[in-house]
Amino acid sequence: MSYFGFDNPIDLESEKRKFLESGGQGSREDIAVYTWGEQGYDGLGDELHEGGDELNDETFGGVGEVGKDFDFSHTVLPSDDLPQAAPSRAQQARPQVYEQPPSQPVQSSAASRPTHSLESVWDDKSPFSVLGRMNGASRSTEPHHPSHTPSPSQSFKFSPFSATSNEPLPAGQPLGGISSGLSKGAYTLEEVEAEMRAQAALQHQQQQQQQIAQPTSLTHTQMRAQIPRQGTPQHAASPPPRMHPHSQSPRFHQQQQQHQIHLMHVQQQQQERQLLDLARHRERQKLLQEQQLLQQQQQQQIMEQLRLEEIERARQIRLQQMQSANHMHSPLLHQRQSPALSERHPRSVGRQSPAIMGGVGALGGAPLEVPLQQSLAYMPHDIQLQQRLLAEMAQAEFLNSMQGGPQSEREIREERELQEMLRAEAMRKIMEAERSDQKRRRKQGKIQHMSRYNDLMTQSDKDFITRIQVSQLVTQDPYADDFYAQVYGAIIRSRMGIQTQDDRILKFGSGAGVGLGPGQKGSGRRPSAMQRMEAQVERIVNNAKMREKEKISLNSLQGALGKTSGRSYKAAPRQLLQVDASSPSPSPAHAHISKVDEEPRKDGMSAAHEAAKIGHQALGGAANSEGVIAKDPLKHREALMILERLYDLVLDIEQLRRDQPLPEDGFEAQDAWEVELDARVQQLLTGLRLHVYLETSVPHPFISLLMPIKGKRLLPRVVRHLPSERILTMLTLIIACFHQVDVVVNSPKLDTLEESKERAEVEQHSEVFLSSLVQSVLPAIGKLDLSMLTGLLGMLFKHNDVAAVARTPPGIALLTMFLSRVQNIKEAIASVPMTTAEPELPDPIDERRWQEVFDELFNVLAPGLLLLFPSIRISKNSGGSVPYGKVPGTDDMDQPIWQFLAAMAVHSSMEQQQYLVTALRELVLENVSSVRRGFLASEEEREKRMGNVDIFMRALGLDSSQIAV
Amino acid sequence: MLIFSVFKTLTDQKVTVELKNDLSITGVLKSVDQFLNIRLDKIEVFDEARHPHMMAVKNCFIRGSVVRYVQLPAEHVDTQLLEDATRREAAAQGKR
Repeated sequence: MSYFGFDNPIDLESEKRKFLESGGQGSREDIAVYTWGEQGYDGLGDELHEGGDELNDETFGGVGEVGKDFDFSHTVLPSDDLPQAAPSRAQQARPQVYEQPPSQPVQSSAASRPTHSLESVWDDKSPFSVLGRMNGASRSTEPHHPSHTPSPSQSFKFSPFSATSNEPLPAGQPLGGISSGLSKGAYTLEEVEAEMRAQAALQHQQQQQQQIAQPTSLTHTQMRAQIPRQGTPQHAASPPPRMHPHSQSPRFHQQQQQHQIHLMHVQQQQQERQLLDLARHRERQKLLQEQQLLQQQQQQQIMEQLRLEEIERARQIRLQQMQSANHMHSPLLHQRQSPALSERHPRSVGRQSPAIMGGVGALGGAPLEVPLQQSLAYMPHDIQLQQRLLAEMAQAEFLNSMQGGPQSEREIREERELQEMLRAEAMRKIMEAERSDQKRRRKQGKIQHMSRYNDLMTQSDKDFITRIQVSQLVTQDPYADDFYAQVYGAIIRSRMGIQTQDDRILKFGSGAGVGLGPGQKGSGRRPSAMQRMEAQVERIVNNAKMREKEKISLNSLQGALGKTSGRSYKAAPRQLLQVDASSPSPSPAHAHISKVDEEPRKDGMSAAHEAAKIGHQALGGAANSEGVIAKDPLKHREALMILERLYDLVLDIEQLRRDQPLPEDGFEAQDAWEVELDARVQQLLTGLRLHVYLETSVPHPFISLLMPIKGKRLLPRVVRHLPSERILTMLTLIIACFHQVDVVVNSPKLDTLEESKERAEVEQHSEVFLSSLVQSVLPAIGKLDLSMLTGLLGMLFKHNDVAAVARTPPGIALLTMFLSRVQNIKEAIASVPMTTAEPELPDPIDERRWQEVFDELFNVLAPGLLLLFPSIRISKNSGGSVPYGKVPGTDDMDQPIWQFLAAMAVHSSMEQQQYLVTALRELVLENVSSVRRGFLASEEEREKRMGNVDIFMRALGLDSSQIAV
Repeated sequence: MLIFSVFKTLTDQKVTVELKNDLSITGVLKSVDQFLNIRLDKIEVFDEARHPHMMAVKNCFIRGSVVRYVQLPAEHVDTQLLEDATRREAAAQGKR
């Protein structure tokens, strides 16, 4: 039977048919077979063959009878491949072609396609017509050998003769029935359909035990039955594969509602079909029938094993439904179903490769839908039932609690109240929980929002940047470069009483380091950060050294080709002002002004040397003015220049003192250090012009230096480094030139209440001068002996208008200092026995001279005692508009005067005291009465005023309380 | 380094930073680096009505190059020390 000995003639036939079907009209059958019935089907096939089908029949021989005469390999139809029946089949083939047609309308009508009349089926315009023609023979044999007709969709070559390809189960049973029916020859439409349905249902049950990868078991009959019912609506509903949710990412297709709708269609269909099937074959399929019954009577609890499984599955599905947004068709759902189900359920896998889809075929899905369908059918009922039960239970409980038990009216009310309370409590708790939850969530959200940028930089990135930053901070002299922060921190610490000696500097081997600024307190993160930084900086320093070496080697390459540029970030903040540092001035810091200063400075130096020769004679008041070169006083600008230089010197000295070598460094270092320090101090003294003749200029150069406020501030700092005799010189000079000091000159400006810039300035200068005087020179007074004091006071009289001096705050302070020092000496004399204090005993001559000087002082001041009080001066200057006692700040202003007068009173003789009392009587009385009569508002003010008065009164041996107003 | 050193002592103090775009921001100085970039906390902008976009801003990082002035709290600056430091700086630069 084979031509050329080829044993497989059907191959040719099937190949041909495959070609035809796939090429011409495959979409109806083939594509349906490939991807059919599943979500993957795109429906494009429907559109593909919309037109151009008219000539299909002519092209493929669909017109008229198709003979087999071209099939040289086979004289009969190829369908017959059962070995035992092959020859007879071949002879039967032709008649069967005619015999079969009645079944075709059946299939077509079953397809529920009303547009297709019988005629349309018959005339070859229908897509099936060709199929019918071409497959006519095979269709006729279908009932007998359903498994033999190779589906074009088969992924493997079907060999009809291979035993393995035979599908054992569907092959026998259903075929027998149908073939026997066929042999009867005449079938009603219903009969045929019933047969096929029965077969399908049965097959489905049997196939549940089988692999999906064996679709060859499906007969063409099944296919036919399947195509219209399932396929048609599905085609309409399925989107093209690309747009289909299944082809998208799982996340995406979760949200596809369209998909659900589609699924519903399918399920409806399936349910219909299932119901039909079950109704028709109730007697044959008891199990199914029972399931059907269950479906119809859900309240019944049938404890059948299968049933239980079904319910269980339904529950799972319901659970999943509640959890997932995609109720019906999340991949999860399918995975949770029993493995068997999902296994035979092609749809269960979301994204199948076309090959698998094709292999499964359109028919795979339909019958297998049943279990899922059943389980799904239970879902709503199950939920409803449960909900109803729950509601009933809750109701019963509520009723119970409300009515149950023999409760009195009161009890019930209490109960209610309790419940109300409980409810309120619960509500509150719920609200609270919700609030906190919301808060937490907001926080979470924020953190999440911010954490978007987490790990944007790797640790090495961060290290790199830190390195750049830190490398800018490392310097050779960290203390000098961080001078302000270091000293400020030290000052703050000392002010707070924290004694830590460590400079807040990270030091490295070669003396380089990083200033850390004032120490921050607390924060546990610091130490570790510090350590990290230390390590990093160390590395940086080492790297820098390496690079330095590299640079040297690079320099040796000078002239070589190529570029040898360094690193760019090293240059980062560039110094924009490039002041010419190589100026001839010895103090380059002030190069910009040094040229102006050059000449006078030299002169000043020479003058100073001259003055040094003459020495202290000026102090004695016996200055021979012949040798003095009179000069113009220092200009403000010159004074500033000199001051800057002095400041530099002071800073140098301070630094030197800080760098004092330790005893273990040896004497040489110590000596060298001392020599250097002495040299600096000498420079300082020269710079201060202490030895210039008094007559050199008015004001004296030293006084000129005290004019600017920074000069006044320099005083205490300089004094710290000067030997005591130099301080005395300075004091003498100041006393001698006291009237030249700007503060004294300008002091009348203070005696007014008018607020002016000038007054404020004078006041500031006055305050600064006073404080620096008190800090620097005045302490020296406390060490002087009586003769020196007398001499100094005498000098004050000689050079100054003491009355005017006494009207300035510094003057009063100076005088008070003198008087109190003398008082101390006198007290010492009185208290210390003669014998022990021998050397300190003042010369009686000195004592007498002191008394003379004091008398002079008293006489000078006596006429204007009241004018010593700034408040009275102010009151007077105001023209009487501000009476005494109404001047703001009177008590603070007058306090030094009261103190001074007290000191005067102590030293005064009886007559002098009498005079003092007489002169001040009115003032004292006014003060006391203003306090007693309550003219003063605040307690503080009253106390101050009384205190002032008492200072003076006690000096006289009196007390303000003795005064009767 | 001098100004950097000064700013280091001013951390956690209230300063006012005037920017070159005439924005004036007052806030607590949190940190400064050697470029004088400034980090401010609890900021307030002068003339808020003119800069409504700054009302919601609570802290900021200011690039050093856009700063025109920084107003320092007088009580936290040791003027004399600052003068000294300036002198030292000048002397050190002169030596170079």
